[in-house]
Amino acid sequence: MITIPASLLRQIYDHTEASYPYECCGLMIGAMGENRKVHAFRTCKNLNTERAHDRYEMNPLDMLRVEREFENSPWDIIGIYHSHPDHPSRPSPTDTERAWPDYSYVIISVQQGTVAGAQSWVLNEGERKFYEEPLITGDSK
Amino acid sequence: MSSVTVKIPTPLRPLTSGQAEVKVEGATVGEILQKLDAQFRGFGDRILDDGKNVKRFVNIFVNEDNIRDRKDLDTEVRAGDTISILPSIAGGS
Repeated sequence: MITIPASLLRQIYDHTEASYPYECCGLMIGAMGENRKVHAFRTCKNLNTERAHDRYEMNPLDMLRVEREFENSPWDIIGIYHSHPDHPSRPSPTDTERAWPDYSYVIISVQQGTVAGAQSWVLNEGERKFYEEPLITGDSK
Repeated sequence: MSSVTVKIPTPLRPLTSGQAEVKVEGATVGEILQKLDAQFRGFGDRILDDGKNVKRFVNIFVNEDNIRDRKDLDTEVRAGDTISILPSIAGGS
């Protein structure tokens, strides 16, 4: 289960809508464990400019920057969000192929520029398959 | 020998007993990774192809520099350096 405060989720949605019709991505920071909670997020640059409408590749320097920013905090990078413009919020074969275990992968469907829904997924590495985890919208940060 | 700090990303921490960072001595990134592989079974398989090259979907930084922009596994390290192992994050609809 992953909990994202409503105010943060709205800001993440704003990022995905502002990026439409292109895919965008970012990192979620918080506490790991059975019940994960997002305390912050950071937008990251999509380096895939040739197929930005249906692919993303996170700038590794952005990930390094976020790791450094939170290295002395109690929090970690616990997941990744990215948008699917005019596609459902389910993992694609490309998502599955490139996924890492343990992270929460929040996928946001943006239809015609407006968020239509979001789901969170975690990879089962042995099966190489995503399973949905409950995404809870918390009230407060 | 230089003692460096290696930052372990969340997906690889099950291999390091949950440790987020490990202190290791070595002269190059390759040597550091070999020592980590000896210390933590399976570590090398996750980040190296055939034990000689960094996997395509893994990024390794020495301080702020991607080792692909330097000398890959032959990149030298100095005492106090920080090595960050970062998953390459990508996908698409």
